[in-house]
Amino acid sequence: MRRSRPSSKVNKMPFIRKYKDLGTDLDNLYQDIIKALQQEKDLEIAKENEGLINGVGFKSVTAVRASLPRAVSGTLREVTVTIAGVPDDWLLELHTGSWFGNMILPGTGGFLIAGPIGSAAAAGTTTLMAAQYGRKLKNQIKELVKKNSGKPYSADKVETFID
Amino acid sequence: MTLVRTYKHLGTDLKGLFEDIIKEITKEPQLNIVSEMRGEIKGVPMMSVTASRSKIPKILVGTLREVTVTITGVPDNYLIEMHVGEWLRSLVLPHTDPIFLVGPLTGLVSVGSSGLLAATYGRELKLKIKELVKKHSKSDYTDDKIETIID
Repeated sequence: MRRSRPSSKVNKMPFIRKYKDLGTDLDNLYQDIIKALQQEKDLEIAKENEGLINGVGFKSVTAVRASLPRAVSGTLREVTVTIAGVPDDWLLELHTGSWFGNMILPGTGGFLIAGPIGSAAAAGTTTLMAAQYGRKLKNQIKELVKKNSGKPYSADKVETFID
Repeated sequence: MTLVRTYKHLGTDLKGLFEDIIKEITKEPQLNIVSEMRGEIKGVPMMSVTASRSKIPKILVGTLREVTVTITGVPDNYLIEMHVGEWLRSLVLPHTDPIFLVGPLTGLVSVGSSGLLAATYGRELKLKIKELVKKHSKSDYTDDKIETIID
């Protein structure tokens, strides 16, 4: 077993963007994001919350893995997308969680797993990985923001925070 | 907040432990169990439970959003992962003011309101799991049998 510091970067994928002056239809955007989540067969919608927090519009959807994965480490476990704000000033948060992502150690042949669950990890199998799915969904959301915005999308209207 | 612990040579009743963890999560009225999984992956037993916030919080930043606890392995060699998710954590910036938002989104913060904060809940659940591991283990719980990895 190769020993090195666990890589936290593999596991962490909270992603926040702040959007201004886009005139975005947040209701439609939210519905389109739900549809995008439903297109992934390994996920099922588990929870939706909509309402106001201190007068600020808020919508949040969580999808969880529908069945046991074939591998554990780094596999997509849940996704939460949250939208809060008004059409010209709002935030979007994308969280993708993975099992035992911080047990993944970078090695020359891909990933090695620290601890007793090496066989459960099965690195390299064709499973739905959180990092890959997060990247794909992030790009999908960008297109959906453009689609549902009344004004042109430009970099100066967007600020990104990555955890 | 993600915490992984490896446990060795404890002879733990993992099914009993998992059921007690579910009971513990269910005690929190602001959480709903949304997913439970039990099975094997490549011959290794795995149990996982996810609970999500049941309704909109009074504040947003730092508030508990979901919790997942996963146990995988065998009684003398297993892992527990606890993930506690919160909203908009990366907007908590290291400035003089603990939270910095400009414009209409400021209302999301309400610093000082009594919300169910992820950090508080995570700490309590972590301590409870420790007690439950002791309860369900045949051997003494000692530091040399445990390794903690915190994300």
